[in-house]
Amino acid sequence: MTEIASLRPLAAVLASALVIVPILASRGRPNLRESWTFLAAVTKLGIVASMVPGVLAGDVYVTDFGTFVPGVRFALRADPLGVLFALLASLLWLVTSFYSVGYMRGLDEHAQTRYFAAFAGSLASAIGIAFAANLVVIFVFYELLTVATYPLVTHDETDEARAAGRKYLAYTFGGGVAVLAGTVLVFWLTGSGTTAFAAGGIDGLSGADPVLARAAFGLLAAGFGVKAALMPLHSWLPDAMVAPTPVSGLLHAVAVVKSGVFGIARVVLDVFGPDLVAELGVGTALAAVAAFTLVAASVIALRQDNLKRRLAYSTVSQLSYIVLGLAVLHPTALLGGLLHIPAHAFMKLTLFFCAGAIHVETHTDDISEMAGIGKRMPLTMGAFTVAAAGMAGIPLVAGFVSKLFLLVGTVTAGDVVFTAALLVSGVLNIAYFWPIVYTAFFESQGESDDKPLLEGPFGGRFAALSSPDKSGKAVTDGGERGGDRGDDHATHAEDSHENHDDHGESDHDDHDHHGHGGPWERRAPTGAESTWFMLGPICFAALGSIALGVVPDAAVFLDVVRLVVENVTGVVV
Amino acid sequence: MNELPALLVALPIVGSVLAFLAGLVRSKSGWAIAVATLAVQLPGAAILAERAFTDGPVSYVVGGFTAPYGIELVVDGLSATMVVLVSVVSLGILAYARVAGPRSNPFYATYLLLVTGLTGVSVTGDVFNMYVFLEILGLAAYALVASGERGESAVAGLKYLIVGTVGASLFLLGVGYAFVATGTLNMADMSAELAAVGYTSPLVQTAFGLLVVGLFVKVAVFPLHTWQPTAYAGAPDTVSGLVAALVSTVAAYALVRIVYTVFTVEFLVANPLARQLLVAAAVVSIVVGSALAVAQTDLKRMLAYSSVSQFGLVVGAVAVTTETALTGAAIHLVGHAVMKGGLFLAVGLVAASTGTRLIAGYDGLAHRLPGTARAVAVLALAMVGVPPAVGFVGKWYVALGAVEAQSWPLAIVIFASTLLTLAYFARLVERMYFREPPDWTADTVEAADAEAEAGDPVDVVTDGAKPQGVSLGMRATVVTAAVLAVLLGLGAFEYGQLIEPTVERLLS
Repeated sequence: MTEIASLRPLAAVLASALVIVPILASRGRPNLRESWTFLAAVTKLGIVASMVPGVLAGDVYVTDFGTFVPGVRFALRADPLGVLFALLASLLWLVTSFYSVGYMRGLDEHAQTRYFAAFAGSLASAIGIAFAANLVVIFVFYELLTVATYPLVTHDETDEARAAGRKYLAYTFGGGVAVLAGTVLVFWLTGSGTTAFAAGGIDGLSGADPVLARAAFGLLAAGFGVKAALMPLHSWLPDAMVAPTPVSGLLHAVAVVKSGVFGIARVVLDVFGPDLVAELGVGTALAAVAAFTLVAASVIALRQDNLKRRLAYSTVSQLSYIVLGLAVLHPTALLGGLLHIPAHAFMKLTLFFCAGAIHVETHTDDISEMAGIGKRMPLTMGAFTVAAAGMAGIPLVAGFVSKLFLLVGTVTAGDVVFTAALLVSGVLNIAYFWPIVYTAFFESQGESDDKPLLEGPFGGRFAALSSPDKSGKAVTDGGERGGDRGDDHATHAEDSHENHDDHGESDHDDHDHHGHGGPWERRAPTGAESTWFMLGPICFAALGSIALGVVPDAAVFLDVVRLVVENVTGVVV
Repeated sequence: MNELPALLVALPIVGSVLAFLAGLVRSKSGWAIAVATLAVQLPGAAILAERAFTDGPVSYVVGGFTAPYGIELVVDGLSATMVVLVSVVSLGILAYARVAGPRSNPFYATYLLLVTGLTGVSVTGDVFNMYVFLEILGLAAYALVASGERGESAVAGLKYLIVGTVGASLFLLGVGYAFVATGTLNMADMSAELAAVGYTSPLVQTAFGLLVVGLFVKVAVFPLHTWQPTAYAGAPDTVSGLVAALVSTVAAYALVRIVYTVFTVEFLVANPLARQLLVAAAVVSIVVGSALAVAQTDLKRMLAYSSVSQFGLVVGAVAVTTETALTGAAIHLVGHAVMKGGLFLAVGLVAASTGTRLIAGYDGLAHRLPGTARAVAVLALAMVGVPPAVGFVGKWYVALGAVEAQSWPLAIVIFASTLLTLAYFARLVERMYFREPPDWTADTVEAADAEAEAGDPVDVVTDGAKPQGVSLGMRATVVTAAVLAVLLGLGAFEYGQLIEPTVERLLS
């Protein structure tokens, strides 16, 4: 790899950092303010895209500022892994900026200037993370990302938003502390005092004391794992869904959480290197955590009624696909895990955009109220279906390609437990996405069935307890309780009708269905359902997911990922 | 000019006398005299620093009386840093004090006496001389703290006086014991003599203990910190900024000087208990200081407890005798002075516009005073340790030093200190930006004060401070502090290179 000194990595970071002041200054002129964002997004994408051909050919672009602390240079370095993340983030930011305009104006949101300025700052930090040349620089931008995204999480300024913001700060700064501790340990352990990323691992670490090296790995993985939403450090993510949907989409499905997995990728591939990770035995531990997260988050997602929270838990689960791929250390699994970064990003962004469009157009947030919404928002729900199919791993959509590599990789590495976890999670994905698609297209207002997973209590329910007089004692021999069966039915039917509006004969009490007033009106699938500011990005992201699934070799990302794996392991997949 | 160290000490004394005398002729002339004095002091300090960093320690024997009977002034890289810091900060705060602060001539006379004491402690090479200057600086500080208009200031000054004098007396006792052990008061001589006497001699150990504990009182290390919250909260805002930025900082410098130049690293090696006690004091200060800060409702008291925590970091660096840690201590002393001074001045600025010094009164400050809120947010995040500001850089060096020395409890606490600091600063930032401002203006504050005096219940967040005007100087000082906090972080490595020979000499 030839290193080329260039200002382009710096320019990519500054493209959005420099726009912050103009955005704040254009407070009174919304169109001018938004055009700053678009200008920055186009510039950023252009700069990053211009570096891609060179990086694919084997060059690395470096901007070096000199020493920041002794032994550590403050440098930005565009290598294949960095370009992967940077290209993804900048491309999706451009798309999200259009969506943001549609969303924020559609809801007539307050504090839009602060929102756009903070968004620009967040993207600058994300690109800084992508192009960081060593652990200290990545830490600098990691913390700046936290600071820049905090105003976006707390945007609503309600008590719930403030509480979510506090939790977010506590978790992410805690993660930052762990990353710093790990960085200092690595710096000290390498003897030569370096934290610079080197494909295949830093040389000095292989001779270090294994206990301390494991401690350093644990700290770094935990620190980055907070943003990567590894369990049990994931709890900030569902609460952060209180943020506006473009924030949830781009930041908490693409930029922030992917920076966490990106950090783990750097640690596994460029700090410790796959060989040392295998030698220390920490790879298996990380893979176990990832596998647990995969499955547990999918199970929790089944119970979420709020659409964004369900998508949040789905994100938690899908991020662990990436971490699992990285931790299994086999080249094919590495390829699958790294390819899942752009694949999941496109798909999840589509899903979040759809959720946001639904919120803006119909003010519906809960799945139980979305019966028949496919009539009202056909394009949106169509895109949702495509993306959901991809998440489950159905062919022709992006998720299938990355998942296939992951499955092949885990099987080849011999860790069949992880293959089983991936397959179980795939089934669970279908289990929590299919009801949304079904209720949108195949049910209608007033005629939808209950969703037992959503409405049933934990641990099931005794059928005998569902009588209106609530005598509460289960009858163990199945015989009749004292009293008239017929009366029970009559009073029960009355109760059901009182308790909930428009449901058929069913055997539950205590429900609080907020039936939405009125059926959905049918809209033509030609864009009449919403503004093209939102529909355009939705379609783009959905088409992107399909492109990555149908022609992955033509879409740039797979080539970049292949190059990363080749540089680190020497194996061409 | 060989006499430069002495001149830098003498100049503020002359200025102080001039300010006092001028007050008999024309009141309110003190500020101008103070500015003139410090405007000469600053270039002098810069020249001295340049010489100390390039040519090595600058030494001057007062009156030609050599050791062991004379007083020698020795300025190495660390002393030069302190002298420059003192000049810059005291001059900067004058820009703030023109409109905000007390305007009487005696105030500025005492201000310049404080600068004398601070500079004197920084340049002296004699232990008893250090005590004299510590007392000068202490007395000036007590008077400045008590110079506020409220009764609170007088009480705060009295408490500071009592506790500070106890600390200074312990320091004096330590000097006495050391003199008895060695027969000399000159630091370089004493260091050689102490080695000859032996570091395990009870006399030497007692001297160390007394000197260090006396300085702990001045630095406000837990549990000897009790004067600090009262003093900072009760003093006028200008004085809080000045004292918080400089007094404990120079006292911490004195601690470094005593431990490394007089007693040397070998003492700590020969007495592991001494090192452990230093580490314990550091760890406890960091944790308890932050815990107490979280519990405060008054912002100045919160910042005072924050200082307790931050100086714990510096004491920890002193205990860990590695080059990296000592460099970190120097960086953190300078950085903390700028950040904490800036925060106190910002509190004064907000109090001048809105009348409140309570944390609850900062709700929605971003709408009312956007520039000040921004500066406070930057300073708060810099103190938490968000890179690339100076708070992070100092912490990196100290943490790396602790890891290199394998002092794991200290290292863990230093890393955790980020979260502890976040605990009390995050809610300030949240209140400023993400809450609605209360519905009151300066008029309603006056009305509320009147109500409070009449005994009626007050429902406006105020603590009786009357809002005054805010000048450009006040705003400029606060913004400059915020900008410096970030720039110093970027330039800290260069400074680390400059101070490397000094640190090596301290550790040898």
